[in-house]
Amino acid sequence: MSWQLALLLLFGMLSTLMAIGVPVAFAFVAVNMVGAVVFLGGDAGLMQLARNAVASITNFSLTPIPFFVLMGEVLFHTGVAMKAIEAIELLIRRVPGRLAVVAVVAGTVFSAISGSTIATTALLGSLLLPEMLRRGYEPKLAMGPIMAIGGVDMLIPPSALTVLLGSLAGISISQLLIAGILPGLLLSIAFVGYIIISAMLVPGLAPRDDEFKRVSGWARWRPLIVYVLPLFVIFGVVIGAMVAGWATPTEAAALGAVATVVVAAAYRALTWRGLMQALMGTAAISGTILFIIVGATTFAQILSFSGGANGLVSLVAGQGLSPMMVVAGMMAVLIMLGCFVDQVSMMLITLPFFMPLVQVLGIDPLWFGVLFLICMQLGLLTPPFGLLLFTLKGVAPPHITMAQVFRAVMPYVLFSAGMLLLIMLIPPIATWLPRMMFK
Amino acid sequence: MSSLDRFYRGLINGCGVISAVLIGVVAVLVTLDVVMRNVGLSNLPWIVEISEYSLPVATFLSAPWLLHSNQHVRVEILVSALPHQVARRLDQLADLIGLAGSLALVWYGIRIIVDSRAIGSLIIKTLVFPEWWLFVPLPAGAALLVIEFVRRMLNRSLGAAS
Repeated sequence: MSWQLALLLLFGMLSTLMAIGVPVAFAFVAVNMVGAVVFLGGDAGLMQLARNAVASITNFSLTPIPFFVLMGEVLFHTGVAMKAIEAIELLIRRVPGRLAVVAVVAGTVFSAISGSTIATTALLGSLLLPEMLRRGYEPKLAMGPIMAIGGVDMLIPPSALTVLLGSLAGISISQLLIAGILPGLLLSIAFVGYIIISAMLVPGLAPRDDEFKRVSGWARWRPLIVYVLPLFVIFGVVIGAMVAGWATPTEAAALGAVATVVVAAAYRALTWRGLMQALMGTAAISGTILFIIVGATTFAQILSFSGGANGLVSLVAGQGLSPMMVVAGMMAVLIMLGCFVDQVSMMLITLPFFMPLVQVLGIDPLWFGVLFLICMQLGLLTPPFGLLLFTLKGVAPPHITMAQVFRAVMPYVLFSAGMLLLIMLIPPIATWLPRMMFK
Repeated sequence: MSSLDRFYRGLINGCGVISAVLIGVVAVLVTLDVVMRNVGLSNLPWIVEISEYSLPVATFLSAPWLLHSNQHVRVEILVSALPHQVARRLDQLADLIGLAGSLALVWYGIRIIVDSRAIGSLIIKTLVFPEWWLFVPLPAGAALLVIEFVRRMLNRSLGAAS
């Protein structure tokens, strides 16, 4: 079979199965079964498929995923995150679009401690959105920042998806985690600027918000020290332990997860019920991610056995295109894919093609990894399959329509696309910090 | 609710609870290991291995629970745009494909266990044990997936009949 036909068969089946609503993990399993019979020699290939299914997730580099997710879930279910948001709210006053700014700042803080974009979006959405709508914020201004900052959570460590990308693409996980910090912060700052400027220019967007609690002095700063500072300490411990080489990413993640539980206990916020909810939420989120890997893991192998991966890679590499053009092409593919499939599938489908190209063309894998992350972040926010759009819709009041949600997120999608372009042109935005820290 | 129903629900939710608790326990173990090592007390290299082996157990056990609670990631855009009748047909087809995949995982999961036992493969790291132990969660979880897919299909056709 020619490699073109092999690719057509494998991807044709995969997209058909996904489109008719087969859960993606099972779509991969089904395609792999056919692929194993056609390309891997039938019975022996199917045995290999079963062995791979187990081997793919018996992998120390994947163990940070549940722990990073657990950190966010604990703060969410014990209510500690809520206290932190209230503390931040006390500090931000007399700013146009105040609560929207609070959402971005609180989301940035929270993302430094949560490895789950869904937890961040759900938390801010259920907490701040009803309040903003009640005070007369335009739904567009109320919802957009919450989804946008949820996406940024993916860039700011800890981040479960970053771990997965590093593991699957063979990029240093610690360096990739650090590399997301600067682009993430820059995006947060840009969001705040955009909110303030648009609230000033279009007066109907946000009410003149004088409803803040009038406290001053110690009463104003105390909550920050009590509820936000410890979170930063945990962040420092997790990142510091990794950078200093005291702990592997897995160990740092486990430390962070245990530390959040300890902090919650110190606030007397820890209950068995809350802890169990956090653990169940963690099992659900990491289970869905890891089970897709189980299903998809043989897919890459079949792609290379069928000659499909190689054929396409050498076709692209042989065109004499500049590395920049190839990278731009890959980003375009990712952005398109991101509209329709989830982040884990995006990685599993494209990495078998992309990483060999990155190698052949001498592209910096760390830089490429950050670009990949931003494309996935865009995928979280772009209709029709943006996960965070549905997360927000799930916690929003019933009168909010999906179309309103789509419209609200659009400006922030443009910002992220702009960041993608900026990092393509100025790679040090992504690579300077990790290179300096891991010298 | 019949007692069989109750038992099944308990079993599926139990799978979710075990996965959840396992993640928590391993987080504590790994933390202990880091702390002990850095204070210079002792080194517990088996903990790294345990944490590695816990991932497949948690994943395969949580899979049927996630299916039961409809939490597996799926692309719904096309199905939700179709007329109700057609969408239901597609759901049935999707369940059938999931069932076939799960059956294959059960069958080949058992085959690799039998194979590995016959050869007598061992995992030799800090912990030494027969390799087939690692494979057990795969057919076990897949068998529960088979049951869950059959249950979904039965429910759908019963729903259609009434």
